[in-house]
Amino acid sequence: MDLPGPIHEILVLFLGFVLLLGGLGLVLLTNPIYSAFSLGLVLVCISLFYFLLNSYFVAVAQLLIYVGAINVLIIFAVMFVNGSEWSKDKNYWTIGDGFTSLVCITIVFSRMTTIPDTSWYGILWTTRSNQIVEQGLINNVQ
Amino acid sequence: MIISILGIWGILLNRRNILIMSMPIESMLLAVNLNFLVFSISLDDMMGQSFASLVPTVAAVESAIGLAIFVITFRVRGTIAVESINCIQG
Repeated sequence: MDLPGPIHEILVLFLGFVLLLGGLGLVLLTNPIYSAFSLGLVLVCISLFYFLLNSYFVAVAQLLIYVGAINVLIIFAVMFVNGSEWSKDKNYWTIGDGFTSLVCITIVFSRMTTIPDTSWYGILWTTRSNQIVEQGLINNVQ
Repeated sequence: MIISILGIWGILLNRRNILIMSMPIESMLLAVNLNFLVFSISLDDMMGQSFASLVPTVAAVESAIGLAIFVITFRVRGTIAVESINCIQG
């Protein structure tokens, strides 16, 4: 969307924050129905992200397909197999859970430090060179 | 993206119930889709958007078939704990 600069930034930050909350709720909530609704929140948030990125068709397609069909199907399946009865016992974190948490946090920090530092300019230049080659071929044909 | 790592973490944490395990898989596919779109916008390439409208199709089909299999498994066996789904083992 062609919003003014600060509103765009604020919306991106807000949506990212809600997205993180929804993702954490999806992973950490014990009741499967709560995590299914949290998945719905994540899907709606990403659809709003797509609106901000000027890709309107994918945003509406995502709203219709993901939220309207897949989320409903998941909630239907969770209610069909009596999902909320399986969460009555408290689940304690095992040592394996702690280890996977450590590994995942390490992956997050390594990605957050390496992605801004890589030079995407090299990749950009290869895609640009493909387009230059295509332009040359088209000019030769004509 | 952080959402894909949250999805991986969600799969590894929620191993008691195979129905819950299918939800972070959806979120991982979603994170990949977002990545496609962001790179398509920033590199000014239309291939990213056309691919980003095909990925939800695959995700929808895969989740529908998976949920159908889980529901029938529950109906046949009476439980959806992951430990008791070991027909292929052995």
